[in-house]
Amino acid sequence: MARRMPLFVLVCICTGSLYAQDLAGIEIHGFVTQSFLFSSNNNYLTMQSSTGSLQWTDGAVSVSDSLTDKLRVGIQLHMYQLGELGGSNVQIDWASGDYRVNDHFGFRGGKVKTVLGLFNDSQDVDAIFLWILLPQSIYQIDNKSFLLSHVGGEVYGELPLGSRAGKLQYRGYAGQATLDLTGGYVKQFADAGLVFTTAPGGKVYGGDLRWEAPLKGLTLGSTAHIEALDGTAPAGSIHVPPFQINAEYAQFQKGKFYFAGEYWRVPLNAILTIGPAVIPVPVDARSWYAMGSYRFSEKLHLGSYYSHLVNKAGDTTQPGNYSKDWVVSGRYDFNAYFYGKIEGHFLHGTGLGYYNSTNPNGLKPNSNMLAARIGFSF
Amino acid sequence: MSKTRWLILLLGFIGCWSAASAQDVVLVANQGVRISEIGAADLRAIFIGTKTRFADGSHAVPVTLKGGPVHEVFLKNHVGESPDQFRAQWRKAVFTGQGAMPRAFDSESALIEYVAATPGAVGYASRISPQDKVKCLAAVK
Repeated sequence: MARRMPLFVLVCICTGSLYAQDLAGIEIHGFVTQSFLFSSNNNYLTMQSSTGSLQWTDGAVSVSDSLTDKLRVGIQLHMYQLGELGGSNVQIDWASGDYRVNDHFGFRGGKVKTVLGLFNDSQDVDAIFLWILLPQSIYQIDNKSFLLSHVGGEVYGELPLGSRAGKLQYRGYAGQATLDLTGGYVKQFADAGLVFTTAPGGKVYGGDLRWEAPLKGLTLGSTAHIEALDGTAPAGSIHVPPFQINAEYAQFQKGKFYFAGEYWRVPLNAILTIGPAVIPVPVDARSWYAMGSYRFSEKLHLGSYYSHLVNKAGDTTQPGNYSKDWVVSGRYDFNAYFYGKIEGHFLHGTGLGYYNSTNPNGLKPNSNMLAARIGFSF
Repeated sequence: MSKTRWLILLLGFIGCWSAASAQDVVLVANQGVRISEIGAADLRAIFIGTKTRFADGSHAVPVTLKGGPVHEVFLKNHVGESPDQFRAQWRKAVFTGQGAMPRAFDSESALIEYVAATPGAVGYASRISPQDKVKCLAAVK
């Protein structure tokens, strides 16, 4: 745990001299964050957070180059440690070729981030957010690999609708997605006796429409995402038939104010097979959040959100089938590259973020948390 | 072309050879850029990366200053964003594989030199002189 801080400092010093290097057209960017989490009751996100934990580090480096006016290639390497999740292995976050035929049509191929709702594809880019944790009812940090990216491709573009009707941005995609072998779902399976050595995965496809309304700052959008998942372990298997996630969202920015909200529905019927036992796991997750923030100055940004998830397929009076989180956040930008954040969480329910292995004595239904982070991005 | 547009163009060219007012900046482009005026919406779209071509179809290469009052005035007047909003938008594009950040310069002279040497380049400065081998663009509503 303690060795993470020197690593963070070292990366900052090394990258501090880079400052978005551009070597004959090649662009190099990166970020690194180090976080601290303290919780009043349960241990959260596989960390020993009830005694305070620094085991939360994130970093990435991207390299890209424009080969022609229309063709750009790039790769981003990502490493994270979140309690017992992640680790020292460096993963390819995305690696793609992007051919933009014109401003109305382009396509990307390779490993690409999956657009889903407002923030799915950008949830790792901590430097752009006020929040330390995005609303967990939708952007679950421990299980993000399930939806984060796919190997395949996407088409994208923008269609002007006229001066009085705004613009329409579209994206459509298809490919194969896999779970992170060091991520939350695989850990939960392992805790249940299903230890995967090859990553479960499945086909994904979907599309996103985003309307930039004539009212300046207002964006409305919707995503439909279809995914399936299959995996085989020595002790059994997981099978999730194709299911559809529907996401509706809106954001509005005016001056120093920012507001956003989303609603997702995730209905699926997973079937776990462990030895002779066949265990159906029905899920009907209804998730939403509403957030608002105000920028007091160029350096100081404060905000709050409420995040809500309930699994309608279970007994919704049980804390394990819901999660409600009131959050207050503050961010201070020391300069264009360094920033600090602090965040308070008031959590009700245990439906998200908790693991039996780090809470062997059971879970209390409510918990308060304090998170702090320093970050560097160039 | 309407009288209004001619007037805007004329005022734009006059502005090129003198110091820009404290409230605005001079838009500069490579001399190979065929247009002489640019719509406000197109200019904004080019600098936030949703548009990569000028109205005549030629490729646009936006460049910026790294910071300072001229950068802030340009972003406020022509992009409608603060420096941190602009930076966040580009960071999102870069770290999700959806775009490449505009090249940024420490000084106006370095920016103008790059614009002069790079086909399709478009940027801004507080003023330019007749010795600068760039052309001036007029922003129109």
